[in-house]
Amino acid sequence: MTKAVSKVEKEDFEPYILVFCCNWCSYAGADLAGVSRFQYPPNVRIIRVMCSGRVDPAFVLKALKNRADGVLISGCHIGDCHYISGNEYTRDRFERLYNIIIKQLGVNEKRVKLEWVSASEGKRFAEVITEFTNEIKELGPLRK
Amino acid sequence: MKRITEINEKGNSEQSIEDSELYLNKIYEPNLRKLLSKCYQCVRCSGVCQLSKVQSFIPSVIIQRILEGSEDKVISSGVLWDCLTCNSCLQNCPEDINFADIVRNAKYKMKNYYKQNPEEFVAHKGIYTTISEILSEPYIQPNKNLDWVPKECKISDKGDILYFVGCIPYFKFEFQEVDPIPISSLKILCQIENRPIVVLKDEVCCGHDLYWGLGNFEAFIKLAKKNYELFEKSGVSTIITSCAEGYRTFKVEYPKLFEDFDKKFEVKHIIEYIYEKLKQGKIELKAPDEGDINIQFTYHDPCRLSRFLPKSNNLLEKLREIFNLLEGLGYSFKEMTHNKENALCCGVSSWMNCNTRSKALRYSRLLEAKEAGTTLVTSCPKCIMHLSCLQKDYDDVFSIEIKDFSEFMVNLIYVIDSKNNGEVKS
Repeated sequence: MTKAVSKVEKEDFEPYILVFCCNWCSYAGADLAGVSRFQYPPNVRIIRVMCSGRVDPAFVLKALKNRADGVLISGCHIGDCHYISGNEYTRDRFERLYNIIIKQLGVNEKRVKLEWVSASEGKRFAEVITEFTNEIKELGPLRK
Repeated sequence: MKRITEINEKGNSEQSIEDSELYLNKIYEPNLRKLLSKCYQCVRCSGVCQLSKVQSFIPSVIIQRILEGSEDKVISSGVLWDCLTCNSCLQNCPEDINFADIVRNAKYKMKNYYKQNPEEFVAHKGIYTTISEILSEPYIQPNKNLDWVPKECKISDKGDILYFVGCIPYFKFEFQEVDPIPISSLKILCQIENRPIVVLKDEVCCGHDLYWGLGNFEAFIKLAKKNYELFEKSGVSTIITSCAEGYRTFKVEYPKLFEDFDKKFEVKHIIEYIYEKLKQGKIELKAPDEGDINIQFTYHDPCRLSRFLPKSNNLLEKLREIFNLLEGLGYSFKEMTHNKENALCCGVSSWMNCNTRSKALRYSRLLEAKEAGTTLVTSCPKCIMHLSCLQKDYDDVFSIEIKDFSEFMVNLIYVIDSKNNGEVKS
Protein backbone atom coordinates (compact mmCIF):
# COMPACT_ATOMS: atom_id res chain seq x y z
CA MET A 1 0.00 0.00 0.00
CA THR A 2 2.82 2.34 0.85
CA LYS A 3 4.47 1.81 -2.47
CA ALA A 4 1.23 2.37 -4.36
CA VAL A 5 0.77 5.73 -2.68
CA SER A 6 4.32 6.83 -3.30
CA LYS A 7 4.03 6.10 -6.99
CA VAL A 8 0.84 7.97 -7.83
CA GLU A 9 0.84 11.50 -9.11
CA LYS A 10 -0.07 14.38 -6.87
CA GLU A 11 -3.54 14.71 -8.37
CA ASP A 12 -4.36 11.10 -7.73
CA PHE A 13 -2.98 11.18 -4.24
CA GLU A 14 -5.53 10.13 -1.68
CA PRO A 15 -4.31 11.11 1.76
CA TYR A 16 -4.93 9.26 4.97
CA ILE A 17 -6.29 11.69 7.50
CA LEU A 18 -6.98 10.93 11.11
CA VAL A 19 -9.66 12.92 12.90
CA PHE A 20 -10.22 12.85 16.63
CA CYS A 21 -13.80 13.92 17.36
CA CYS A 22 -15.22 14.57 20.76
CA ASN A 23 -18.33 12.57 21.52
CA TRP A 24 -20.62 15.46 22.40
CA CYS A 25 -19.99 18.12 19.75
CA SER A 26 -17.84 17.18 16.80
CA TYR A 27 -18.96 13.60 16.49
CA ALA A 28 -22.57 14.74 16.67
CA GLY A 29 -21.64 17.37 14.09
CA ALA A 30 -20.29 14.66 11.84
CA ASP A 31 -23.51 12.75 12.39
CA LEU A 32 -25.54 15.77 11.42
CA ALA A 33 -23.43 16.23 8.32
CA GLY A 34 -24.25 12.65 7.38
CA VAL A 35 -27.96 12.92 8.16
CA SER A 36 -28.26 16.18 6.25
CA ARG A 37 -26.33 14.66 3.33
CA PHE A 38 -23.54 17.21 3.21
CA GLN A 39 -20.74 15.70 1.21
CA TYR A 40 -17.15 15.62 2.33
CA PRO A 41 -14.09 13.68 1.11
CA PRO A 42 -13.82 10.06 2.22
CA ASN A 43 -10.16 10.37 3.18
CA VAL A 44 -10.82 10.88 6.85
CA ARG A 45 -10.87 8.21 9.51
CA ILE A 46 -12.77 9.42 12.53
CA ILE A 47 -11.88 8.27 16.01
CA ARG A 48 -14.43 9.12 18.63
CA VAL A 49 -13.09 10.20 21.99
CA MET A 50 -15.22 11.22 24.93
CA CYS A 51 -13.59 14.64 25.07
CA SER A 52 -10.96 16.36 22.98
CA GLY A 53 -8.99 16.55 26.23
CA ARG A 54 -8.50 12.82 25.90
CA VAL A 55 -6.24 13.30 22.90
CA ASP A 56 -2.70 12.88 24.10
CA PRO A 57 0.03 14.56 22.03
CA ALA A 58 1.54 11.10 21.73
CA PHE A 59 -1.52 10.01 19.71
CA VAL A 60 -0.86 12.73 17.16
CA LEU A 61 2.83 11.82 16.87
CA LYS A 62 2.11 8.13 16.63
CA ALA A 63 -0.40 8.76 13.87
CA LEU A 64 2.22 10.73 11.94
CA LYS A 65 4.73 7.93 12.50
CA ASN A 66 2.31 5.28 11.30
CA ARG A 67 1.78 6.97 7.95
CA ALA A 68 -1.12 9.35 8.51
CA ASP A 69 -0.73 12.36 6.23
CA GLY A 70 -2.62 14.71 8.48
CA VAL A 71 -4.18 14.78 11.93
CA LEU A 72 -7.15 16.89 12.91
CA ILE A 73 -8.36 17.29 16.47
CA SER A 74 -11.87 18.52 16.81
CA GLY A 75 -13.84 19.43 19.92
CA CYS A 76 -16.54 21.66 21.32
CA HIS A 77 -16.19 25.43 21.18
CA ILE A 78 -14.47 26.96 24.18
CA GLY A 79 -17.04 27.24 26.95
CA ASP A 80 -19.28 24.50 25.53
CA CYS A 81 -17.33 21.53 26.83
CA HIS A 82 -19.45 18.77 28.31
CA TYR A 83 -16.78 18.34 30.95
CA ILE A 84 -16.57 22.09 31.61
CA SER A 85 -12.88 22.68 30.82
CA GLY A 86 -11.65 19.68 28.82
CA ASN A 87 -11.20 21.59 25.59
CA GLU A 88 -9.30 24.36 27.36
CA TYR A 89 -6.70 21.78 28.31
CA THR A 90 -6.66 20.60 24.73
CA ARG A 91 -6.09 24.12 23.49
CA ASP A 92 -3.14 24.73 25.82
CA ARG A 93 -1.63 21.32 25.19
CA PHE A 94 -2.05 21.61 21.46
CA GLU A 95 -0.41 25.02 21.45
CA ARG A 96 2.65 23.58 23.13
CA LEU A 97 2.67 20.50 20.92
CA TYR A 98 2.43 22.71 17.86
CA ASN A 99 5.03 25.31 18.85
CA ILE A 100 7.58 23.10 20.52
CA ILE A 101 7.38 19.73 18.81
CA ILE A 102 5.66 19.92 15.44
CA LYS A 103 7.44 23.09 14.33
CA GLN A 104 10.85 21.63 15.19
CA LEU A 105 10.14 18.14 13.94
CA GLY A 106 10.36 18.81 10.24
CA VAL A 107 6.78 17.78 9.56
CA ASN A 108 4.87 20.52 7.78
CA GLU A 109 2.93 22.49 10.36
CA LYS A 110 -0.22 22.41 8.26
CA ARG A 111 -0.52 18.66 8.74
CA VAL A 112 -1.70 19.04 12.31
CA LYS A 113 -4.71 21.15 13.12
CA LEU A 114 -7.14 21.94 15.90
CA GLU A 115 -10.72 22.94 15.08
CA TRP A 116 -13.85 23.61 17.09
CA VAL A 117 -17.06 22.17 15.65
CA SER A 118 -20.31 22.06 17.59
CA ALA A 119 -23.13 19.54 17.30
CA SER A 120 -25.30 21.87 15.26
CA GLU A 121 -22.61 22.69 12.71
CA GLY A 122 -22.99 19.77 10.31
CA LYS A 123 -22.28 22.00 7.36
CA ARG A 124 -19.22 23.45 9.00
CA PHE A 125 -17.90 19.97 9.77
CA ALA A 126 -18.11 19.06 6.09
CA GLU A 127 -16.38 22.32 5.18
CA VAL A 128 -13.59 21.85 7.71
CA ILE A 129 -12.90 18.34 6.47
CA THR A 130 -12.98 19.38 2.82
CA GLU A 131 -10.65 22.30 3.45
CA PHE A 132 -8.22 20.19 5.46
CA THR A 133 -8.20 17.38 2.91
CA ASN A 134 -7.48 19.83 0.14
CA GLU A 135 -4.61 21.32 2.11
CA ILE A 136 -3.09 17.90 2.69
CA LYS A 137 -3.59 16.96 -0.94
CA GLU A 138 -1.67 20.04 -1.93
CA LEU A 139 1.17 19.15 0.42
CA GLY A 140 1.41 15.63 -0.95
CA PRO A 141 2.21 12.48 0.97
CA LEU A 142 4.24 12.76 4.15
CA ARG A 143 6.09 9.58 3.38
CA LYS A 144 7.82 10.12 0.10
CA MET B 1 7.29 1.96 -18.31
CA LYS B 2 5.58 1.24 -15.02
CA ARG B 3 7.03 -2.22 -14.89
CA ILE B 4 10.54 -0.97 -15.37
CA THR B 5 10.20 1.47 -12.50
CA GLU B 6 8.77 -1.27 -10.36
CA ILE B 7 11.79 -3.47 -11.00
CA ASN B 8 14.12 -0.61 -10.25
CA GLU B 9 12.40 0.17 -7.01
CA LYS B 10 12.50 -3.44 -6.00
CA GLY B 11 16.21 -3.57 -6.68
CA ASN B 12 16.83 -0.51 -4.57
CA SER B 13 14.81 -1.74 -1.65
CA GLU B 14 16.58 -5.11 -1.68
CA GLN B 15 19.90 -3.36 -1.61
CA SER B 16 18.89 -1.18 1.28
CA ILE B 17 17.67 -4.24 3.20
CA GLU B 18 21.04 -5.91 2.74
CA ASP B 19 22.72 -2.70 3.76
CA SER B 20 20.74 -2.36 6.97
CA GLU B 21 21.36 -6.03 7.79
CA LEU B 22 25.06 -5.42 7.46
CA TYR B 23 24.83 -2.65 10.01
CA LEU B 24 22.47 -4.63 12.18
CA ASN B 25 24.93 -7.50 12.48
CA LYS B 26 27.43 -5.09 13.94
CA ILE B 27 25.28 -4.23 16.90
CA TYR B 28 23.01 -7.24 17.29
CA GLU B 29 24.03 -10.60 18.75
CA PRO B 30 21.17 -13.10 18.49
CA ASN B 31 22.83 -15.77 20.56
CA LEU B 32 22.44 -14.69 24.17
CA ARG B 33 24.18 -17.77 25.54
CA LYS B 34 27.32 -16.82 23.72
CA LEU B 35 27.45 -13.55 25.64
CA LEU B 36 26.99 -15.35 28.93
CA SER B 37 29.33 -18.29 28.45
CA LYS B 38 31.87 -17.05 30.98
CA CYS B 39 29.40 -16.81 33.84
CA TYR B 40 30.16 -19.06 36.82
CA GLN B 41 27.14 -18.11 38.88
CA CYS B 42 28.73 -16.16 41.69
CA VAL B 43 25.39 -14.31 42.04
CA ARG B 44 27.09 -11.01 42.69
CA CYS B 45 24.90 -9.36 40.06
CA SER B 46 21.78 -10.13 42.09
CA GLY B 47 23.39 -8.69 45.17
CA VAL B 48 24.17 -5.35 43.60
CA CYS B 49 21.17 -5.04 41.29
CA GLN B 50 19.53 -1.73 42.08
CA LEU B 51 16.16 -2.82 40.78
CA SER B 52 16.15 -5.89 43.04
CA LYS B 53 15.89 -3.56 46.02
CA VAL B 54 12.46 -2.40 45.00
CA GLN B 55 11.10 -5.24 42.90
CA SER B 56 11.62 -8.97 42.53
CA PHE B 57 14.16 -9.03 39.75
CA ILE B 58 17.07 -11.46 40.00
CA PRO B 59 19.65 -11.19 37.20
CA SER B 60 21.51 -14.34 38.19
CA VAL B 61 18.38 -16.47 37.90
CA ILE B 62 17.69 -15.01 34.47
CA ILE B 63 21.25 -15.73 33.41
CA GLN B 64 21.06 -19.28 34.72
CA ARG B 65 17.80 -19.93 32.90
CA ILE B 66 19.28 -18.70 29.65
CA LEU B 67 22.35 -20.89 30.16
CA GLU B 68 20.19 -23.89 30.91
CA GLY B 69 18.52 -23.45 27.56
CA SER B 70 15.17 -21.93 28.43
CA GLU B 71 15.93 -18.64 26.72
CA ASP B 72 12.52 -18.86 25.08
CA LYS B 73 10.70 -18.75 28.37
CA VAL B 74 12.75 -15.85 29.70
CA ILE B 75 12.16 -13.81 26.59
CA SER B 76 8.51 -14.62 26.17
CA SER B 77 7.81 -13.76 29.80
CA GLY B 78 8.90 -10.18 29.05
CA VAL B 79 10.69 -9.85 32.38
CA LEU B 80 13.67 -8.15 30.75
CA TRP B 81 11.65 -5.05 29.89
CA ASP B 82 11.95 -4.18 33.59
CA CYS B 83 15.74 -3.93 33.69
CA LEU B 84 16.98 -0.39 34.29
CA THR B 85 20.18 -1.02 32.31
CA CYS B 86 22.09 0.83 35.01
CA ASN B 87 25.01 -1.60 34.65
CA SER B 88 25.75 -1.95 38.37
CA CYS B 89 26.06 -5.67 37.71
CA LEU B 90 28.83 -5.20 35.15
CA GLN B 91 30.74 -3.09 37.63
CA ASN B 92 30.85 -5.94 40.11
CA CYS B 93 31.04 -8.87 37.73
CA PRO B 94 34.36 -10.77 37.98
CA GLU B 95 33.98 -12.00 34.41
CA ASP B 96 32.85 -8.68 32.90
CA ILE B 97 29.57 -10.00 31.64
CA ASN B 98 27.56 -7.16 30.25
CA PHE B 99 24.02 -7.80 31.42
CA ALA B 100 22.72 -4.56 29.95
CA ASP B 101 23.93 -5.71 26.57
CA ILE B 102 22.01 -8.95 26.97
CA VAL B 103 18.90 -6.98 27.86
CA ARG B 104 19.39 -4.80 24.81
CA ASN B 105 19.65 -7.77 22.48
CA ALA B 106 16.76 -9.51 24.21
CA LYS B 107 14.63 -6.39 23.78
CA TYR B 108 15.18 -6.52 20.04
CA LYS B 109 14.14 -10.18 20.07
CA MET B 110 11.11 -9.54 22.24
CA LYS B 111 9.96 -6.77 19.97
CA ASN B 112 10.60 -8.34 16.60
CA TYR B 113 10.23 -12.09 17.06
CA TYR B 114 7.90 -12.35 20.03
CA LYS B 115 5.77 -9.38 19.00
CA GLN B 116 5.68 -7.96 22.49
CA ASN B 117 4.46 -4.43 22.75
CA PRO B 118 6.78 -2.30 24.88
CA GLU B 119 4.28 0.54 24.94
CA GLU B 120 3.00 -0.16 28.43
CA PHE B 121 6.53 0.26 29.79
CA VAL B 122 7.33 3.52 28.04
CA ALA B 123 6.94 6.69 30.04
CA HIS B 124 4.94 9.71 28.83
CA LYS B 125 2.98 7.44 26.48
CA GLY B 126 6.06 7.15 24.30
CA ILE B 127 5.97 10.73 23.07
CA TYR B 128 9.75 11.22 23.13
CA THR B 129 10.62 7.85 21.68
CA THR B 130 8.07 8.47 18.92
CA ILE B 131 9.81 11.75 18.14
CA SER B 132 13.08 9.84 17.74
CA GLU B 133 11.37 7.33 15.49
CA ILE B 134 9.86 10.03 13.31
CA LEU B 135 13.24 11.78 13.08
CA SER B 136 14.84 8.57 11.87
CA GLU B 137 12.75 8.56 8.69
CA PRO B 138 14.72 9.67 5.65
CA TYR B 139 12.03 12.09 4.44
CA ILE B 140 12.06 14.10 7.68
CA GLN B 141 14.37 17.05 7.96
CA PRO B 142 14.02 18.74 11.32
CA ASN B 143 13.97 22.46 11.58
CA LYS B 144 15.09 23.27 15.09
CA ASN B 145 14.39 26.56 16.70
CA LEU B 146 17.64 28.40 17.44
CA ASP B 147 16.10 31.30 19.34
CA TRP B 148 17.68 30.09 22.56
CA VAL B 149 21.19 30.88 21.31
CA PRO B 150 22.55 33.71 23.50
CA LYS B 151 23.19 36.99 21.72
CA GLU B 152 26.91 37.10 22.46
CA CYS B 153 27.48 33.71 20.85
CA LYS B 154 28.29 33.35 17.20
CA ILE B 155 27.09 30.21 15.51
CA SER B 156 27.46 28.90 11.99
CA ASP B 157 26.59 25.77 10.08
CA LYS B 158 30.11 24.98 8.97
CA GLY B 159 33.28 24.91 10.98
CA ASP B 160 35.54 23.01 13.28
CA ILE B 161 33.77 22.53 16.55
CA LEU B 162 30.24 21.27 16.78
CA TYR B 163 28.03 21.58 19.79
CA PHE B 164 25.52 18.73 19.74
CA VAL B 165 22.35 19.94 21.41
CA GLY B 166 20.42 16.67 21.21
CA CYS B 167 16.80 16.25 22.22
CA ILE B 168 16.65 19.07 24.75
CA PRO B 169 14.57 21.38 22.48
CA TYR B 170 11.85 18.70 22.42
CA PHE B 171 11.97 18.07 26.16
CA LYS B 172 10.86 21.65 26.61
CA PHE B 173 7.35 20.33 25.97
CA GLU B 174 7.12 19.10 29.54
CA PHE B 175 10.39 19.93 31.28
CA GLN B 176 11.58 23.47 31.72
CA GLU B 177 14.45 22.41 33.99
CA VAL B 178 16.72 21.47 31.11
CA ASP B 179 16.38 24.75 29.18
CA PRO B 180 19.55 26.37 30.59
CA ILE B 181 21.81 23.44 29.64
CA PRO B 182 22.43 24.28 25.97
CA ILE B 183 22.52 28.00 26.71
CA SER B 184 25.22 27.75 29.37
CA SER B 185 27.20 25.11 27.45
CA LEU B 186 27.26 27.29 24.39
CA LYS B 187 28.21 30.31 26.48
CA ILE B 188 31.20 28.40 27.86
CA LEU B 189 32.26 27.27 24.39
CA CYS B 190 31.92 30.73 22.86
CA GLN B 191 33.82 32.38 25.71
CA ILE B 192 36.75 30.05 25.29
CA GLU B 193 36.83 29.52 21.56
CA ASN B 194 36.35 33.04 20.28
CA ARG B 195 35.15 31.75 16.94
CA PRO B 196 31.77 30.58 15.66
CA ILE B 197 30.59 27.24 17.01
CA VAL B 198 28.63 24.93 14.75
CA VAL B 199 25.06 24.41 15.91
CA LEU B 200 23.00 22.53 13.38
CA LYS B 201 19.42 23.35 12.62
CA ASP B 202 18.64 19.95 11.14
CA GLU B 203 20.40 17.88 13.75
CA VAL B 204 18.61 14.65 14.65
CA CYS B 205 18.46 12.57 17.79
CA CYS B 206 21.44 10.35 18.62
CA GLY B 207 19.17 7.31 18.95
CA HIS B 208 20.16 6.31 22.45
CA ASP B 209 16.63 5.68 23.69
CA LEU B 210 15.68 3.52 20.75
CA TYR B 211 18.88 1.55 21.16
CA TRP B 212 18.69 0.85 24.90
CA GLY B 213 15.03 1.31 25.63
CA LEU B 214 12.83 0.07 22.84
CA GLY B 215 15.19 -2.27 21.02
CA ASN B 216 14.42 -0.52 17.74
CA PHE B 217 17.81 -1.02 16.11
CA GLU B 218 16.63 -0.24 12.58
CA ALA B 219 15.64 3.28 13.55
CA PHE B 220 18.88 3.65 15.51
CA ILE B 221 20.90 2.74 12.43
CA LYS B 222 18.95 5.20 10.32
CA LEU B 223 19.56 7.96 12.85
CA ALA B 224 23.24 7.13 13.06
CA LYS B 225 23.58 7.32 9.30
CA LYS B 226 21.77 10.64 9.22
CA ASN B 227 24.02 12.05 11.93
CA TYR B 228 27.14 10.76 10.27
CA GLU B 229 26.20 12.44 7.00
CA LEU B 230 25.36 15.69 8.77
CA PHE B 231 28.67 15.78 10.61
CA GLU B 232 30.57 15.06 7.43
CA LYS B 233 28.67 17.73 5.54
CA SER B 234 29.37 20.42 8.08
CA GLY B 235 33.06 19.54 8.10
CA VAL B 236 33.50 19.30 11.85
CA SER B 237 36.38 17.55 13.56
CA THR B 238 35.34 17.89 17.19
CA ILE B 239 31.92 17.10 18.59
CA ILE B 240 31.17 18.50 22.02
CA THR B 241 28.10 17.51 23.91
CA SER B 242 26.74 18.21 27.35
CA CYS B 243 24.60 15.10 27.41
CA ALA B 244 25.79 11.89 29.04
CA GLU B 245 23.77 9.59 26.82
CA GLY B 246 24.73 11.34 23.63
CA TYR B 247 28.39 11.27 24.62
CA ARG B 248 28.38 7.56 25.22
CA THR B 249 26.46 6.84 22.05
CA PHE B 250 28.93 8.79 19.94
CA LYS B 251 31.94 7.49 21.78
CA VAL B 252 31.09 3.80 21.99
CA GLU B 253 28.20 2.85 19.71
CA TYR B 254 28.82 4.88 16.57
CA PRO B 255 32.37 3.55 16.02
CA LYS B 256 30.84 0.07 16.04
CA LEU B 257 28.70 1.07 13.06
CA PHE B 258 31.23 3.21 11.21
CA GLU B 259 34.85 2.17 11.48
CA ASP B 260 36.19 5.62 10.67
CA PHE B 261 33.95 7.54 13.06
CA ASP B 262 36.73 7.55 15.68
CA LYS B 263 39.33 8.89 13.29
CA LYS B 264 37.13 11.51 11.67
CA PHE B 265 35.52 13.01 14.73
CA GLU B 266 36.77 13.58 18.20
CA VAL B 267 33.94 13.32 20.69
CA LYS B 268 34.25 15.27 23.90
CA HIS B 269 32.01 15.81 26.85
CA ILE B 270 31.91 19.37 28.13
CA ILE B 271 33.67 18.10 31.29
CA GLU B 272 36.59 16.85 29.23
CA TYR B 273 36.65 20.07 27.29
CA ILE B 274 36.79 22.29 30.37
CA TYR B 275 39.43 20.02 31.94
CA GLU B 276 41.64 20.25 28.87
CA LYS B 277 41.36 24.01 28.71
CA LEU B 278 42.21 24.24 32.41
CA LYS B 279 45.30 22.11 31.86
CA GLN B 280 46.30 24.20 28.86
CA GLY B 281 46.02 27.27 31.04
CA LYS B 282 43.47 28.97 28.82
CA ILE B 283 40.87 29.36 31.51
CA GLU B 284 40.82 29.78 35.24
CA LEU B 285 38.24 29.23 37.92
CA LYS B 286 36.79 32.12 39.83
CA ALA B 287 36.95 32.28 43.60
CA PRO B 288 33.53 32.50 45.22
CA ASP B 289 31.96 35.75 46.32
CA GLU B 290 31.42 36.11 50.01
CA GLY B 291 27.82 35.03 49.79
CA ASP B 292 28.56 31.83 47.93
CA ILE B 293 30.98 30.24 50.35
CA ASN B 294 28.41 28.28 52.23
CA ILE B 295 27.03 26.54 49.17
CA GLN B 296 27.73 22.86 49.49
CA PHE B 297 27.50 20.91 46.31
CA THR B 298 27.59 17.26 45.45
CA TYR B 299 27.73 15.32 42.21
CA HIS B 300 25.41 12.64 40.91
CA ASP B 301 27.29 10.34 38.53
CA PRO B 302 25.09 9.36 35.59
CA CYS B 303 25.43 5.69 34.71
CA ARG B 304 26.28 6.57 31.11
CA LEU B 305 29.36 8.46 32.25
CA SER B 306 30.53 6.07 34.93
CA ARG B 307 29.73 2.41 34.55
CA PHE B 308 28.96 2.50 30.86
CA LEU B 309 32.25 3.90 29.66
CA PRO B 310 35.30 1.73 28.99
CA LYS B 311 37.62 1.56 31.96
CA SER B 312 40.37 3.45 30.12
CA ASN B 313 38.14 6.51 29.99
CA ASN B 314 38.87 8.52 33.12
CA LEU B 315 36.22 11.15 32.71
CA LEU B 316 35.16 11.02 36.33
CA GLU B 317 38.71 11.48 37.59
CA LYS B 318 38.99 14.57 35.42
CA LEU B 319 35.76 15.86 36.89
CA ARG B 320 36.98 15.22 40.43
CA GLU B 321 40.12 17.17 39.63
CA ILE B 322 38.04 20.15 38.56
CA PHE B 323 36.07 19.85 41.79
CA ASN B 324 39.30 19.64 43.79
CA LEU B 325 40.41 22.89 42.22
CA LEU B 326 37.09 24.44 43.17
CA GLU B 327 37.48 23.18 46.71
CA GLY B 328 40.89 24.84 46.86
CA LEU B 329 39.20 28.13 46.00
CA GLY B 330 36.73 27.87 48.84
CA TYR B 331 33.73 25.97 47.52
CA SER B 332 32.77 22.94 49.50
CA PHE B 333 32.29 19.74 47.58
CA LYS B 334 31.12 16.60 49.30
CA GLU B 335 30.68 13.15 47.79
CA MET B 336 27.48 11.25 48.32
CA THR B 337 27.61 7.87 50.07
CA HIS B 338 27.36 6.10 46.76
CA ASN B 339 29.53 7.80 44.20
CA LYS B 340 31.46 7.31 40.97
CA GLU B 341 30.97 3.74 39.72
CA ASN B 342 28.82 2.80 42.69
CA ALA B 343 26.41 5.69 42.22
CA LEU B 344 22.74 4.96 42.64
CA CYS B 345 20.52 5.06 39.59
CA CYS B 346 18.13 7.92 38.93
CA GLY B 347 15.51 5.25 38.38
CA VAL B 348 14.55 5.62 34.74
CA SER B 349 16.58 4.83 31.69
CA SER B 350 15.66 5.60 28.09
CA TRP B 351 12.11 6.58 29.04
CA MET B 352 11.34 3.07 30.24
CA ASN B 353 9.52 2.06 33.41
CA CYS B 354 8.64 5.24 35.22
CA ASN B 355 6.56 3.85 38.09
CA THR B 356 6.31 3.80 41.86
CA ARG B 357 9.31 1.48 42.13
CA SER B 358 11.58 3.75 40.15
CA LYS B 359 10.30 6.63 42.24
CA ALA B 360 11.51 4.81 45.33
CA LEU B 361 14.98 4.62 43.77
CA ARG B 362 14.93 8.31 42.94
CA TYR B 363 13.76 9.18 46.42
CA SER B 364 16.63 7.32 48.04
CA ARG B 365 19.05 9.08 45.69
CA LEU B 366 17.69 12.49 46.62
CA LEU B 367 17.86 11.68 50.32
CA GLU B 368 21.54 10.90 49.88
CA ALA B 369 21.98 14.16 48.02
CA LYS B 370 20.26 16.05 50.80
CA GLU B 371 22.73 14.64 53.30
CA ALA B 372 25.67 15.70 51.16
CA GLY B 373 24.78 19.24 50.21
CA THR B 374 22.29 21.82 49.07
CA THR B 375 23.13 21.77 45.37
CA LEU B 376 23.14 18.63 43.28
CA VAL B 377 25.23 18.83 40.13
CA THR B 378 24.97 16.23 37.41
CA SER B 379 25.73 15.97 33.69
CA CYS B 380 22.75 14.12 32.32
CA PRO B 381 19.62 16.00 31.21
CA LYS B 382 17.51 12.91 31.85
CA CYS B 383 18.74 12.60 35.43
CA ILE B 384 17.85 16.24 35.98
CA MET B 385 14.36 15.73 34.61
CA HIS B 386 13.69 12.55 36.55
CA LEU B 387 15.01 13.85 39.84
CA SER B 388 13.33 17.23 39.65
CA CYS B 389 10.07 15.55 38.63
CA LEU B 390 10.13 13.64 41.92
CA GLN B 391 10.92 16.79 43.86
CA LYS B 392 7.48 18.14 43.04
CA ASP B 393 5.88 15.23 44.92
CA TYR B 394 8.01 15.16 48.05
CA ASP B 395 8.42 18.20 50.25
CA ASP B 396 11.42 16.95 52.20
CA VAL B 397 13.65 16.83 49.14
CA PHE B 398 12.24 19.92 47.48
CA SER B 399 14.96 22.19 48.86
CA ILE B 400 17.75 20.56 46.80
CA GLU B 401 18.79 22.63 43.86
CA ILE B 402 19.49 20.42 40.84
CA LYS B 403 21.84 21.86 38.26
CA ASP B 404 23.62 20.69 35.18
CA PHE B 405 27.41 20.75 35.19
CA SER B 406 27.60 23.42 32.49
CA GLU B 407 24.96 25.50 34.23
CA PHE B 408 27.01 25.24 37.42
CA MET B 409 30.29 26.10 35.75
CA VAL B 410 29.23 28.89 33.43
CA ASN B 411 29.75 31.62 36.01
CA LEU B 412 32.84 30.08 37.56
CA ILE B 413 35.04 30.29 34.49
CA TYR B 414 36.99 33.17 33.12
CA VAL B 415 39.24 33.22 30.11
CA ILE B 416 42.86 34.26 30.47
CA ASP B 417 44.50 36.52 27.90
CA SER B 418 41.42 37.35 25.94
CA LYS B 419 43.47 40.04 24.15
CA ASN B 420 45.92 37.54 22.78
CA ASN B 421 43.13 35.30 21.65
CA GLY B 422 41.56 38.20 19.85
CA GLU B 423 44.80 38.85 17.98
CA VAL B 424 45.10 35.23 16.97
CA LYS B 425 41.59 35.35 15.68
CA SER B 426 42.10 38.48 13.59
